Amino acid sequence: MTFPKVSRLWFGLGLIVLLALPWLFRNPYYHLLGFNLWLLVVTASAWNMLSGYTGYKSLGHSAFFGLGAYLVAITAARYGWNPLWSAPVLGLGVGVIALLVGWVLLRADGSAFVIASIAVLLIFRLLALNLRGLTSGAPGLSQPLPPWSPQFSRMPFYYYMLGLAIITVGVSGFIRRTRFGLGLFAIRDDEGKAASVGVATNLYKVLAFGISAYFMGVAGGIWSYFQGHISPIFTFDILNDVDMVIASMLGGLGTLWGPVLGAFIIVPARDLILFRFGESQIHLAVFGVLMILIIVLLPNGIITTYRNRRRRRAGRTSAFAGARTAAEMTEAAQKADQSGPEKPVR
Amino acid sequence: MSLLLETVDLHKSFGGITAVDGATIDVETGSITGLIGPNGSGKTTLFNLITGVFTPDAGDVFFAGKKVTAARADKLCHMGLARTFQITRLFWNRSVLENMMVPVPHVGLRSLFGPGMRSEEEGRAMALLERVGLDHLHDQPAKELSFGQQKLLELAAVLMSNPSLVLLDEPAGGVNPTMIGFIMELVRALHQEGVTFLIVEHNMPMVMELCDRVLVLDVGVRIADGTPAAIQSNPRVLDAYLGQ
Repeated sequence: MTFPKVSRLWFGLGLIVLLALPWLFRNPYYHLLGFNLWLLVVTASAWNMLSGYTGYKSLGHSAFFGLGAYLVAITAARYGWNPLWSAPVLGLGVGVIALLVGWVLLRADGSAFVIASIAVLLIFRLLALNLRGLTSGAPGLSQPLPPWSPQFSRMPFYYYMLGLAIITVGVSGFIRRTRFGLGLFAIRDDEGKAASVGVATNLYKVLAFGISAYFMGVAGGIWSYFQGHISPIFTFDILNDVDMVIASMLGGLGTLWGPVLGAFIIVPARDLILFRFGESQIHLAVFGVLMILIIVLLPNGIITTYRNRRRRRAGRTSAFAGARTAAEMTEAAQKADQSGPEKPVR
Repeated sequence: MSLLLETVDLHKSFGGITAVDGATIDVETGSITGLIGPNGSGKTTLFNLITGVFTPDAGDVFFAGKKVTAARADKLCHMGLARTFQITRLFWNRSVLENMMVPVPHVGLRSLFGPGMRSEEEGRAMALLERVGLDHLHDQPAKELSFGQQKLLELAAVLMSNPSLVLLDEPAGGVNPTMIGFIMELVRALHQEGVTFLIVEHNMPMVMELCDRVLVLDVGVRIADGTPAAIQSNPRVLDAYLGQ
């Protein structure tokens, strides 16, 4: 990928700021906020790679987040695998399982797909609750604490998740530029048409499902290490999906930066509401209202709405361009008529 | 001449309604074949059976000598069978040029994850767009084109898959006479370049002038087959159309 020089400069400056932030804001709360922010950037961007790019909106995608969390926690507790390296490796396993799940799941579409995806999440949760030998059931699993000093306890997580967020957004941006990405967008617009012009729609959808699930799995693995203790109810939680969906839709579904922008709004907003109203769970009601407002007022999200507006402002020239073609077309057709054979028989 | 496409005794019913009832048709390599028939005679259903949208209840489809009954639409496209739709179907939120790039064939994972816009393919796409007069609109979203421009784009885009046979489903439907003339010239020129056409169309002057052979379908069965002149005086055809 080649960046223009200016944007490379901004990218470098931005990265330096993001790397310096934990040292500027020493309060561990900010490290937690930053970690949660990058976590949502990762999960929302991963969700967007599937649901934003293909239009198949999964509401059970945190099944793979939870699967990653459990695989990492189990291997850490049993074999002492360090999650920092095991998460990206075990993520591959999550991706492979997702390919199999997706192969079945993606035969449904529309609302049937949404319902089926929720069912997958519930099945995974049931498995986590009932495979007690492996998962310890409802009480959950603990894993060893990180070896670094408690003083810095959250900083490495901040950096790890920042790195993962950069990689996820990078992959998401890479996909957009490939033939694969073009095929995904074609599927979103008209799947039957895409198949008729040669897009192997099933392969594309299942691959997108797997790639998306990989990042969900890695994020889940690191999250479980960060938590130290995980239990089925909070690990396989549909509210995780709600966060990803709201972040993506608010920012701009199917855009590269939409999920990032959405996460930057959602995470601080969530904390603010939690601060104000304590543990009343009122943030759930607020988020429900927010979701309705987004769907009614900003169905395309901030980025897409902004782009459309800018296009419309520049749109007058394009209308003229269209008119000119019509004239050119007529001219071309008249030329063709003169040189062509006699008029159609009636 | 060899047969490029052949259907043998195709049947398809939807519930109690029989849409195609034993259709046996063939298309010769290098021809422009017309497929006509009254509304509801099963023309579009036949297209859908040939292109893998529907699975036939019985019967077989052969393309380029291979049995392709109920083959997947994308595989048929890769074999060289392309189609347009009665109601134009495009990737509405994508640009004109991107609509051209989706049908470009690719082989293997490496090209799948290669760039979406390769310069040589982009050049070919721009040349085709120039031919249909849409090149200067290449970065406009498809949904912002006029109706006629959308029809032209759909036809130009399916050509990107290098088809040997193109099925056109009502290319002149709802199009002004000037544009019909333009589309006919385009089909003739592509035919000269070796593309075979099977055309469903209600515009009889167009069918009679463009096609070298016409098949007539009624209630899902082929009732006539011949040159345009022979079809125009065929009593069974007149009966099917006018109900005499």
